[in-house]
Amino acid sequence: MVAAVTREVRSTTVLLVGAMLVKLSISGAYARYVRAGMGLWLLVAGILLAGVGLVGVWQALAGHGHDDHHHGHRHNDRIGWLLLAPVLALLLVTPPSLGSFGVSRSTGVTVTSGGKVFTDLRPGGTAAMTLLEFDERAADHDGASFKSVPVKLTGFVSKTRDGAGFQIARFQIACCAADAVAYAVRVTGTAGSPPPRDQWVTVTGTFHPSADGLPELRATGLDEIPAPRDPYE
Amino acid sequence: MALVVVAVLLRPWLTGLLRERAFANWSTIFVAIAVQAMPFLVLGVAVSASIAAFVPPGAIARMLPKKPALAVPVACGVGAALPGCECGSVPIAARLIGSGVTPAAALAFLLSAPAINPIVLVSTAVAFPGHPAMVLGRLLASALASIVMGLLWIALGRDDLLTLRRPPVQHAEGERRFAVFVAAAQQDFLQAGGFLVIGAAAAATLQTAVPRSLVDSLATPGPISLVVMGLLAVLIAICSEADAFVAAGLKQFSLTARLAFLVVGPMVDVKLITLQAGTFGPRFAWRFSAATFVVAVASAGLIGWWLL
Repeated sequence: MVAAVTREVRSTTVLLVGAMLVKLSISGAYARYVRAGMGLWLLVAGILLAGVGLVGVWQALAGHGHDDHHHGHRHNDRIGWLLLAPVLALLLVTPPSLGSFGVSRSTGVTVTSGGKVFTDLRPGGTAAMTLLEFDERAADHDGASFKSVPVKLTGFVSKTRDGAGFQIARFQIACCAADAVAYAVRVTGTAGSPPPRDQWVTVTGTFHPSADGLPELRATGLDEIPAPRDPYE
Repeated sequence: MALVVVAVLLRPWLTGLLRERAFANWSTIFVAIAVQAMPFLVLGVAVSASIAAFVPPGAIARMLPKKPALAVPVACGVGAALPGCECGSVPIAARLIGSGVTPAAALAFLLSAPAINPIVLVSTAVAFPGHPAMVLGRLLASALASIVMGLLWIALGRDDLLTLRRPPVQHAEGERRFAVFVAAAQQDFLQAGGFLVIGAAAAATLQTAVPRSLVDSLATPGPISLVVMGLLAVLIAICSEADAFVAAGLKQFSLTARLAFLVVGPMVDVKLITLQAGTFGPRFAWRFSAATFVVAVASAGLIGWWLL
């Protein structure tokens, strides 16, 4: 009898984890935690887990199944309860994507152009680019490829007061938020007080070389925007 | 039911906590590690439960060479061919031992499956565009470390250290096999998943609490930096498919020190230690992880000195 209850609880836990993965991948919220391309794999994993959980629940309710060898080993299964911790965290609060707290703590990267030589930006119009590309172009021959062409960057405010202006940053992830690497750009030339910390913005402006190694954007326009669907580059 | 009530009561408190930037950062990394490991864990559990339910006992052991010293490099090669990840290979190794494979070979598989496989090598090549030797170095140093650990287990290992914390699976025919598969899959998933959650919490805590400047100050030349990078890999516990990108960014360290990071990470880290403790027993996990750390750093140093 006790074994049957344990079996139901175990199956329900597996089912809950599976259902949470399906929900995360369908709602798109998974992109806050892992690389955008992983959605399909999360969906497949979630469906498999939910299936195994459902079969287990059905077997336990129907009173047959394979619980004869679980006696005396139940204490080991308790550890599985911990899987409910991330499920509850996601159900109750849905942690945000990485923000300004991690910028100074993420794996510090000295940007170099990676041996690439960038082609010049074409004059006329505004070039939208990632913060990584901006930092790489800035490192490549002191930003010669910008040719004073205006660029548009999207990131969140990471420091509200930083010398002459403020900083925006964005993380790049390879697999999940645990391996995130931040790229930052200083924004100068905006009027009034800078936007609040962690506010997402798009900034247009032109590249300006700076003395301390942090590339600078002389802003001509600044818009506050809602957080993008994929917050990472 | 009580759980739901507690959860509803906790919600305002948790939402308030999330306004603390440090806590929000912690919870994001915690959830991210748990979520990204799920597909790999499910793949590993599917393989381990299939071994339990559909492979007759002794069948895999018969396919490996009889001599354990020969079975170790073969198992290392099999591990390299499978696109596994560290979390998924622990339940597979446990089921291999359960089905009669010699522990030395199963442990060589456990170490090599996440450390060297096609995905990991390709991502290393992408992360280090100017250094093709890094890919070869990772391959050789990881293979060396896992074979040495397998042989070390033959020489020094005691099978009584290895307490398999799961009941032996009763073999069944026909319809019962499916029931065995479901039971084994649930058991392996819950056990590995529970320990993965502990490891994710530990890694998130370290990533949130350890200031960046501390790591930078340890980037000294010489063998100390190898140990520092090895320890960093243990503490931050990132997936072996992604660690090359992080290593590529740590330019203040030498290439050999970064090789140590890449060799140690898939073999020893906080989430793996908890996973192994839960699967094979804590007495085994501590000794095995400590020995693996030393062997991995040494083989990275050796291969790095030769190649890089």
